Amino acid sequence: WVKCLKHTILSSTPLQILLHLNKWYFAAFYLAEILMFIYKGILLPYPTDNLILDVVLLVLFLGLETLRIFYAEKGDLCERPLSSSMSVLVLFPCTALCVYYLLLQTFVLRLEFILNTILLVFYCAEFVLSVLALSMFSRSRVY
Amino acid sequence: MSAVSSLVPARFLTIIAHLVIVITIFWSRDSNVKACLPLEYTQEQYEEEDKKLVVGLSVTLGLFAIELAGFFSGVSMFNCSQGLLSIGVHASASVALLFYLFEQWECSVYWWILAICSVLPACVEITLFIAVFGFKKKAS
Repeated sequence: WVKCLKHTILSSTPLQILLHLNKWYFAAFYLAEILMFIYKGILLPYPTDNLILDVVLLVLFLGLETLRIFYAEKGDLCERPLSSSMSVLVLFPCTALCVYYLLLQTFVLRLEFILNTILLVFYCAEFVLSVLALSMFSRSRVY
Repeated sequence: MSAVSSLVPARFLTIIAHLVIVITIFWSRDSNVKACLPLEYTQEQYEEEDKKLVVGLSVTLGLFAIELAGFFSGVSMFNCSQGLLSIGVHASASVALLFYLFEQWECSVYWWILAICSVLPACVEITLFIAVFGFKKKAS
């Protein structure tokens, strides 16, 4: 039989809070982005290729972000370094997409600028907390 | 405590909505400043009204910092009354400031919105800070 040792909790509460709020914020952000793309598509002179590129990248953003938040939450709760490191890896393309929507897309509205800046602040905080949590998990892995 | 689990994201989203609108007004305050001035105005009058509006907006951002500090440090995250007050006040501030921005209301209205919808939750937040850190009350 296995002797049960006393186990201190290593998962990071600030990271869990940030991820929970990030889920809600990303839902509101995505809804706002879809409405703004409808507004921009009707009002502004878009070349068709650019509009299709922006919309496809938006769909990709949804997929990547859902994946990232799921792996970060589960990896932190189960204290598994593999899931947490995968979520940190997926954070990099998500940050690239966020910077694209902030600076590089065809037409940037002021509201989009502000919303993407807030999302970037979330990403920076989550990156720091994820790396800290990851180092705690990998340091104390019992083999 | 299932009510709390829906209060916390609602409170966070209304605070962020209010913050986004305040930053938008900061960025495009030109038409609102012109609404405060008479039809014929000098550059000094414009700059004086502009400075007053900038001061009001900066005070709002400072009060936001106080409230977000209280929220994220856990002092008032799970306090139901402060959560409800915050949701109500910030939601009404968002709507009022949207009207302020789009209908180009004059500057004096902004001070009322500031007093009711930014100063009030920040004062309650400071009271909670004192209660938790000073009197060691549990942040339920």
